[in-house]
Amino acid sequence: MKANARSSGSVPAGLRIEKRSDGLLAGRFFAMGSPCEILVADDNRRRVHTLIQLAAEEAWRIEKKYSRYRDDSIITIINRNAGEAMDVDAETAKLLDFAAQCHELSDGLFDITSGALRRVWTFDGSDRIPSASAVNFILPLVGFDKIKWQAPQIMLPEGMELDLGGIGKEYAVDRVHELLAAQRSVPFLVNFGGDLRADRIAPTGAWQIGVERPGTDREAAMVLELEHGALATSGDARRFLLKDGVRYGHIIDPRTGWPVVDAPRSITVAASTCVEAGLLSTLAMLQGKNARQFLDEQQVRYWIID
Amino acid sequence: MQLTRSKLFAASCTLLGVPAVHADQSDWSADSALTYYHESDGRITAVEPVVKLKGGFGNERTLDVKLTYDSLSGATPNGAIPSTRTQTFASPSGTSLNPVVQTYTTASGQSISERSTVYSIAPGQLPMDPNYSDQRFAINANWQQPLSRLTHLSVGGDLSYEHDFLSTSLNTTLSHDFNQKNTTLSLAVNGEYDSVQPIGGAPVAGSDYSRFQKNGDESKLDVNVMLGLTQIMTRRWIADVNISSDRMTGYLNDPYKIISIVDDTGNVTGYLYEKRPQSRTRNSIFWENHIALDDSTISTSVRHMTDNWGIHSDTLQLNWRLFNGDHDGYIEPQLRWYRQSAANFYVPWLSNNISYVDAASADSRLGALHALTFGLKYAFKTRGDFDSPSKGNEYAIRAEFYQQTPDQKMPGPGVLQGLNLYPGLKAFLIQFEWKFSN
Repeated sequence: MKANARSSGSVPAGLRIEKRSDGLLAGRFFAMGSPCEILVADDNRRRVHTLIQLAAEEAWRIEKKYSRYRDDSIITIINRNAGEAMDVDAETAKLLDFAAQCHELSDGLFDITSGALRRVWTFDGSDRIPSASAVNFILPLVGFDKIKWQAPQIMLPEGMELDLGGIGKEYAVDRVHELLAAQRSVPFLVNFGGDLRADRIAPTGAWQIGVERPGTDREAAMVLELEHGALATSGDARRFLLKDGVRYGHIIDPRTGWPVVDAPRSITVAASTCVEAGLLSTLAMLQGKNARQFLDEQQVRYWIID
Repeated sequence: MQLTRSKLFAASCTLLGVPAVHADQSDWSADSALTYYHESDGRITAVEPVVKLKGGFGNERTLDVKLTYDSLSGATPNGAIPSTRTQTFASPSGTSLNPVVQTYTTASGQSISERSTVYSIAPGQLPMDPNYSDQRFAINANWQQPLSRLTHLSVGGDLSYEHDFLSTSLNTTLSHDFNQKNTTLSLAVNGEYDSVQPIGGAPVAGSDYSRFQKNGDESKLDVNVMLGLTQIMTRRWIADVNISSDRMTGYLNDPYKIISIVDDTGNVTGYLYEKRPQSRTRNSIFWENHIALDDSTISTSVRHMTDNWGIHSDTLQLNWRLFNGDHDGYIEPQLRWYRQSAANFYVPWLSNNISYVDAASADSRLGALHALTFGLKYAFKTRGDFDSPSKGNEYAIRAEFYQQTPDQKMPGPGVLQGLNLYPGLKAFLIQFEWKFSN
């Protein structure tokens, strides 16, 4: 049967809206390399369409602006301009300021310049571990402190590159959350590939969040309940290298250039914003076997799968 | 590692264009309202600005602080009935007009001089003290926090000050969620201590108005216990039921209310200060429903109250909130109906044949009456800017019209028969509200 002409007939390409068995309306689209979903506790399709369209447009806007895979993104332009000073817009400046603060707060563990290490590390499940000399050759090109950054001007040393992959998706979740919260007062959940944020509890009860068991496909290892706030998960579910029985997760310590070993398979952290949750889970992952201790010190709620 | 969560939190707030306080963690929002209340026939006019601050301290811990200022002025009925002759009274609260100094002896034998204002009431008019003027300052603070995932505690206190009245109270509420959070049971206890400090002392209850028998300050105590149940019935229906019991003891009189003494021909021969029982037990049951429709919500409530003074009252309320298409504004008609029976010691006047009264008050608020309130509220929300889209403000305006009608109109004896002894009350209220979320 043909697309049973939806009432408004104006769902843009790439957007799907479905009614779930529990009565919630779900809008789905794809952005930032992840399946994205907006759950809305409202059964008026017209209003839900408006919300989901707003959400998708904002996610796509952020992807277009910050994806390092796009030739026209501001990140690509900054990377291409390495060696020269350039001015950035206000939103980018805020993100760079944030990255600078996180770099400082984490003693260099969080670093948006670690992307250069991808030239030697490819996490494809194989056993291709780079040589120590290859890593040491790249390492001088990593370190946020080597960038000249004073808003609005950035100057990236030649050979270095920025990658906002570590916060982009979480930032998009928070932005979309803000945008939808401003529209109306129905409860909703924003879920971009497992990084999510809820506005408040739905009439059907707390939001049920399944966290995948790493290494399996779509098998929920645990189900968490979220009333409001954000959850973000870091893990090496699919991206890793395996050699001599050592599993190298995709999270690289920018200070050594080597992946963290003995890190848990997956860490989920709850915080008030997704950016915060994402950063805490990433930093916890970087602590390797000390992840639990780190999270305990931060006094956050977390769930670890070893 | 030097990372502290609060620094990260502050950094993410800056990134997201939110001041370093946040909805789920630690944010402040301010709510303010200005109310203008006016009673017909030159009675009370009140202006009341209120500021409410709500702060979050993370982990669902919140603090609410409310500051209220009231300025009241106008005329207030003193309890005496109209007469065919001019009546003259002394107002203890007066500060201007015709101040006179009166000396009287307190019950304990102390001699006190009091500056008061004399006012006269024309024949046929309801005696009202025209000099009523008061200011009230109140602060209310309330702390809420979870004790566990399903149990919440709230602790709070109030302090309210007027030049002749000081009220302090403490309250605590414990609530527990069950049944996958579809059911909440709560228990609240409130204790209030009031100091009644009328100018010149509190009159001895039931004493002769002309003899100025007064004591110093008096006090009263009110303990209230409430048990509540909130149930999510369906996705669109929430119901609330609570039962509450109050026990008040102490000086429960209105120190400014008197009762006319009338002879068989209808002539006023004197006045007594009112005398209410020294304790009151009040029980009530309340049932409220909130129903969410597609573009509107309906709230209904019913309250039945009964006390050992003989007052039984019923309140019915209906609010219907109609949203606009974008749900960023609404119009809400409000309707409230109230009815009460009289306290068993309510008397519009006392006969001069009675030499002793156990309890008596001519305060019309204790008589049988019914009241209707019509209200209309309009509210809208503005949207925030690009940097903080959810930070819109909310504005509301509400207008209310209130009409109170006495239900038992016992005709007066003799010459009082032609006079309107039960004037009723009409009032209107306008309120503006602003809500700023931060």
